[in-house]
Amino acid sequence: MGPLTFNDIISTEWNYVIALLIGLAFGYILEASGFSSSRKLVGVFYGYDFVVIRVFITSVSVAMITLLYLDYLGFLDFSMLYVLPTYLPAQILGSVIMGLGFLMGGFCPGTSLTALAIGKIDGIIFTVGIWLGIFGFSEAYPYIEDFNNSGYMGNVTLMDYFGVNPYTFAFGFAVFAIVAFTVSSYVRRNVKEIQY
Amino acid sequence: MQKRYIFLAVLFLIMASGLLFLPDMKQKTQIPATSFLNDIHSNNRYLSSDELAKRIIEDDPMLFIVDVRTEAEYDIYSLPGAINIPLENLLLEDWAGYLDQDIQDVIFYSDDDVSSEQAWALCKQLGYKNLYVLDGGLNHWFNTIMLPKKPGELNSSAAYDLYSFRTGASIYFGSGSTAVKSATEKPKAKKTLTVKKKTKRVAEGGC
Amino acid sequence: MEFKNDSFRHVYWNPYFGGLLLGLLIAATFYVTGRGVGATGGTKATVVTAVNTLAPEYAGNQDFYSKYVDEDKNPMENWLVFETLGIIIGAFLSGSIKGRVSLRVQHSPKITSRTRLIFALAGGLLFGVGSQFARGCTSGAALSGSTVLSLAGFITMIGIFGTAYLFAYLFRKLWI
Repeated sequence: MGPLTFNDIISTEWNYVIALLIGLAFGYILEASGFSSSRKLVGVFYGYDFVVIRVFITSVSVAMITLLYLDYLGFLDFSMLYVLPTYLPAQILGSVIMGLGFLMGGFCPGTSLTALAIGKIDGIIFTVGIWLGIFGFSEAYPYIEDFNNSGYMGNVTLMDYFGVNPYTFAFGFAVFAIVAFTVSSYVRRNVKEIQY
Repeated sequence: MQKRYIFLAVLFLIMASGLLFLPDMKQKTQIPATSFLNDIHSNNRYLSSDELAKRIIEDDPMLFIVDVRTEAEYDIYSLPGAINIPLENLLLEDWAGYLDQDIQDVIFYSDDDVSSEQAWALCKQLGYKNLYVLDGGLNHWFNTIMLPKKPGELNSSAAYDLYSFRTGASIYFGSGSTAVKSATEKPKAKKTLTVKKKTKRVAEGGC
Repeated sequence: MEFKNDSFRHVYWNPYFGGLLLGLLIAATFYVTGRGVGATGGTKATVVTAVNTLAPEYAGNQDFYSKYVDEDKNPMENWLVFETLGIIIGAFLSGSIKGRVSLRVQHSPKITSRTRLIFALAGGLLFGVGSQFARGCTSGAALSGSTVLSLAGFITMIGIFGTAYLFAYLFRKLWI
């Protein structure tokens, strides 16, 4: 009955080994899908390469559906999974900043690690930038602490907040995914070809 | 659009729609019938009134006494420290945190032991632990603790010890049917213990 | 797609296939550990360790670091650190199998290498700050968060992509 480490089916000493293996697979898949190339990533915003949407939405949808099935079949307790806490204003600000960072740098933290791994200097510099950014944040923390912790709503899920049925939402999301893919391939075909 | 993708998309949507049509899930996993039968036969769920009396007197913190009768009956008389969960409310979510835990011992009682047995069976089936039934219910409680029978001269000393214990207990619990309101400090819903389904979320998450 | 002399170099997986594998991986991660993946946690641990090593007194008292600095527990002993290490190794494996490993700067032909690096640094800075506010980046918050249907995950995802779409026109010179 999952989550496994939580229910002591796998002991916690294996935790770090598991982390390593998961990271391994994660990095491999990301890189093999082309996420180590910044120009490929940014293509989603300019219409010449939609790999980000395709991988991202597929993976969220597949994972969501898999987990819901596992929960239904009794292999997993969905309510024990970690839900990201909601800090409304801080997260909105954070995601806006990150959106700009994505445009400027062409990477996101995970993909910058893959770029770093294959030797891309811009990936390395990006990761250094993240380091400095976190450092700056933590130095300034005493001043922004209050804002950072404002609007705490707890570990809210969509079910809690909007009262939607998770299954309905998962299905709706899958439909949205298909629509997004169709639209994106249409756009892709009509945008001029970019060599990168 | 290639045929292959259309096929995959349709397959994907079918998988997703499967979620919509799932029959209402089996709420919790139930324990297998054979072990349940064993538990029914084993009889080690019974707690004698003497034992319960002793534990109450000793203020045993591991006790969680549940009165499964109606609220009216509970108000007339109840064991000290008992909480009233009428049988039909036993499965409500609010009580799950108190009943489904392995810290305290849950002891069901009712007037006889029919309702308490039913409560026990219900919770046992759901896999709850540490469930007990007051042997003979309140009826037996009255006959042993509250109004103990003095043993005849031919009975052993053990019987006399038991009798003196019971007299002492009956004084502790107030004498007889009524006038027990003082002793019972009905802690209606002691909200302190909200173990609440181990929502001890995994320490960290995000990055 | 770009084809160099050795034509296999930049042939990537079919994105849907990659997405499927990634989705299964995320589900497996949740199943085994109850949490999702993350990418900035490892870097954060490095920052904390660095500050702690250089100025332990300060780290112990400052609001932010003190949360992660414990007497006997090394802040690097963090699930995310190992996972981050795994990402780097995994990506290296994938890249080297396909022959993509080499030291270079990838940039649009319309800008110089230097411009690219400056903006990479700026982007990184913003991401560092932003991810701390949002308690996650695209992998941790948007990806893993959305999988468990958390409100924050979707807010973050919409925020990041929405903002980027909004301002994409401003930065087009960098990319197209």
